[in-house]
Amino acid sequence: MALQELNFSFKPEKNFTSFAPEWFHSGVVGSGDMEVLMEHKKQDGKVTVKVVTPVTGFDQVWEKVLAKFVAETKIGNLHMEINDNNATPFIVHMRLKQALFEAKGDVES
Amino acid sequence: MEGNRKRWDTLKRDRMERIREAIPLVKMGKIVEASNAVKLLETVIKPYDKVTIEGDNQKQADFLADCLCKVDREQVHHLHMVQSAISLPSHLDVFEKKIASKVDFSYAGSQATRLAQFVKEGKIEMGAIHTYLELFGRYFIDLTPRVALTVAVSADKEGNLYTGFNTEDTPVVIEATKFKQGIVIAQVNEIVDKVPRVDIPGDWVDFVIQAPQPFYVEPLFTRDPANITDSQVLRAMMVIKGIYAEYGIQSLNHGVGFDTAAIELLLPTYGEELGLKGKICKYFSLNPHPTLIPAIESGWVESIHSFGGESGMADYVAARSDVFFIGPDDSLRSNRTYCQAAGHYGIDLFIGGTLQIDKFGNSSTATASRIAGFGGAPNMGCDPRGRRHSTEAWLKCGREDGVQRSLIGDLPRGRRLVVQLQETFREKMAPGFVDKLDAWKLAETAGLAIPPVMIYGDDLTHIVTEEGIAYLHKCSSLEERMAAIRAVAGFTEVGLEEKPEETTELRRKGIVRTPEDLGIDLSRANRSLLAAKNVRDLVEWSGGLYHPPAKFRSW
Amino acid sequence: MRKWEEMQERSFYESTARERAINLVDKGTFTELLAPIDKMTSPHLPILGEAVSFDDGVVTGVGKIGKRPVFVISQEGRFIGGAVGEVHGAKMVATFRLAQQSYEKIKEKYPNDYESRIPAVVISFETGGVRLHEANAGLLAHAEVMEQIQHCRGKIPVIGLVGSKVGCFGGMGFVVVATDMVIMSDRGRIGLTGPEVIEEAMGKKEFDASDKSLIYRITGGKHKYIMRDAAYLVKDTIGDFHKQVAEALKMSYDEVQSHRCIGSLKLVEEQLELVKIAAENNFKDATDVWAYFGNKKSDQIQDQFYDEFIREAKRRPRR
Repeated sequence: MALQELNFSFKPEKNFTSFAPEWFHSGVVGSGDMEVLMEHKKQDGKVTVKVVTPVTGFDQVWEKVLAKFVAETKIGNLHMEINDNNATPFIVHMRLKQALFEAKGDVES
Repeated sequence: MEGNRKRWDTLKRDRMERIREAIPLVKMGKIVEASNAVKLLETVIKPYDKVTIEGDNQKQADFLADCLCKVDREQVHHLHMVQSAISLPSHLDVFEKKIASKVDFSYAGSQATRLAQFVKEGKIEMGAIHTYLELFGRYFIDLTPRVALTVAVSADKEGNLYTGFNTEDTPVVIEATKFKQGIVIAQVNEIVDKVPRVDIPGDWVDFVIQAPQPFYVEPLFTRDPANITDSQVLRAMMVIKGIYAEYGIQSLNHGVGFDTAAIELLLPTYGEELGLKGKICKYFSLNPHPTLIPAIESGWVESIHSFGGESGMADYVAARSDVFFIGPDDSLRSNRTYCQAAGHYGIDLFIGGTLQIDKFGNSSTATASRIAGFGGAPNMGCDPRGRRHSTEAWLKCGREDGVQRSLIGDLPRGRRLVVQLQETFREKMAPGFVDKLDAWKLAETAGLAIPPVMIYGDDLTHIVTEEGIAYLHKCSSLEERMAAIRAVAGFTEVGLEEKPEETTELRRKGIVRTPEDLGIDLSRANRSLLAAKNVRDLVEWSGGLYHPPAKFRSW
Repeated sequence: MRKWEEMQERSFYESTARERAINLVDKGTFTELLAPIDKMTSPHLPILGEAVSFDDGVVTGVGKIGKRPVFVISQEGRFIGGAVGEVHGAKMVATFRLAQQSYEKIKEKYPNDYESRIPAVVISFETGGVRLHEANAGLLAHAEVMEQIQHCRGKIPVIGLVGSKVGCFGGMGFVVVATDMVIMSDRGRIGLTGPEVIEEAMGKKEFDASDKSLIYRITGGKHKYIMRDAAYLVKDTIGDFHKQVAEALKMSYDEVQSHRCIGSLKLVEEQLELVKIAAENNFKDATDVWAYFGNKKSDQIQDQFYDEFIREAKRRPRR
């Protein structure tokens, strides 16, 4: 029952915004929660994601949650690494949005 | 003539006979020693009697329940238990011991799994699972108890009872029993010269027993704010902005849970910020939830009538007689029947959480292996069709109703708001939305006539999930309702069927609104918005008047 | 991240390890060392199928309070109960080493007025002790941290803060009392054996682990303050902890270490004397101990709010 690693790659929306900070970290790997490390990465706008999680059997749900995040935020040139500990799909979605929001604020302030 | 020879007072004569047999057991007045309690029950209870053991949400006639398990089953058997709650192991032991055989009840809580097992094994014949008001109603129709085993704080030797803070079901249980020539036995914590106030007149009570231990009380309505999650905070923000403010909800009931606790704790912060004080949440039918203290202290709440009390809240409630219903002795007068009636007819909104919602919008807390019952939620979680008074919130909800005109033409008629809070996935990825409710499976395994549904889809007006609010009552067809449910069901099997173009159209019509549509900033959805973050903060808000039970005192 | 000024008002108990680390030092001065971007995760947890974290449950770094560099170690209770594994422990030890290197450099650079510039180590404990998934490495880390505290003696003040959700239990319960000064809030807890373990060994009658109230009487900040295991009791905000640390850094080294609980023959004798008092008086509960030290309304102490408690509490006299 080793940890499993999932990798995803998403094409950006047409009018995407590049992830600006060099890197940004948010969240705590508590039970039912996760952390995300967002890194700027020049890759033709693509968003790549590595998920490390103890939960098996939800690969498709991960893909859908992440695709939704990319579509809604129109973010691009981003590499994310997620350490998950049983976060629900909504928590994942909320944490990613919160992280992106904080990352932007970090740059502006 | 034939008719003149028929006896019309057999019940009364039977009652007198049973009482007469018990006289040697009486020590003084109506007082029977605890050591004679089992003997008393063997004397006054006859085979096939309908018997109620008072087991409320809070106070429990636990001593009498234990005594009933000890009666000689040669003398006492085939009892038909008609009680609101099956909450103690002893409530089921009487079936194991073949003293009782049939049950009609409302709520099973912690005994739900064992109850399901007993039903499956044929140890219990199931009458019906009722809501509180239904069961209390049937006490006066065809389920009248022959013997009531009730519980009070204190009694005097004439049998006057003081039920005090947790009056709950006692009045209705005793009234139904006593006035149909039944027998009332009360266990009390103490026998006093004069009770602080008379909750039940002495001539409605036949026997009083001082129990060896004070009755057991469970702090069922205490939710520690420390355990509220960010996603509960988000849903609470959505409810306050998208429903309470939108409709101007003044009178309501909160089902117990962390979701509603979050709403209560957001009123003095987020609610205040939205300028809603005095416009929403003024009147509650509700147990004294500790998490409501900050809102009360901030001047939000005008009135609260309670089903029962809550451990540790007595002093606080007594000191807030403008808000709560207080007796001449300065303690809370709760009453489940009245509060349920108030909750059915008097309020504009019911909100609560559930375990499962199906694709049609029916919801249930049943699982295949537990018979949890209903309690009182369905009495509030429905549109009271007999309601005739109007309020702005009720009328607005009626005006928005997508099918009403097709049924009654252009006549104005309002509608109760019935709101379900649902997390799309709970812990361990248990989905909140399912294709088919587990209640179907339970109905099959337990041989129930109908799947136990807490709230039917056609009574439900709003579903709130982290994804958004579905204003279901605005829909004009089942198809549209199902699409609205899919739109807020997240990544569950139901939600995965969502069609983006349908959702866009529903958002345009205002049938679905996302947090973004509501203007809610996701980054603010975290615990720092809570007016109290732990039980200690609640004590501080109460000015030291709230005394939480030891298991909640983390300081 | 929220503004530093806002975070000073925030509950210490509710804050994450990183929020505490950044905001315990002066505004804008914190630099994290081995930050998440370094991705130094546990090599042991993946094999066991346990979730990993980029910081392995501890935030380490350096900031300033006034002129003095402050080396911060801040444990995260949400990640495996703040338990100490190999990476987590190594980060703690390395932080101590850096503090000592920094001390030597400062002494060299400012031979005449180095005292007002010497570094300090501040540990915000939130841990149950050894991480059972990597127990050998975790135990070793405990010993190494103890050793580092010894290396710092006479040079660098080591201050322990306890006010987070998990408290400070297990092996780290030993470590915290080995620091020069302990600062707690009344929500903080220090103990060696966890409540459940005591119940398991001694029976529910002796110790009921579900009785939170009892656990707080025995392990909570108020008790530790009366017993002088904690030198200071502060309110539950990051700002109050920050201010108390800043106050401590205004003290001479000797004054700071006068708050030690152990570490000299005299202190050991003092502790033994306490054991004797406890045995002779057959105390049944912490309230008995409080009464013994002159707290008349000992049964009310637990419910007292901060100001009243600080005003009225009678503490164990020191020799």
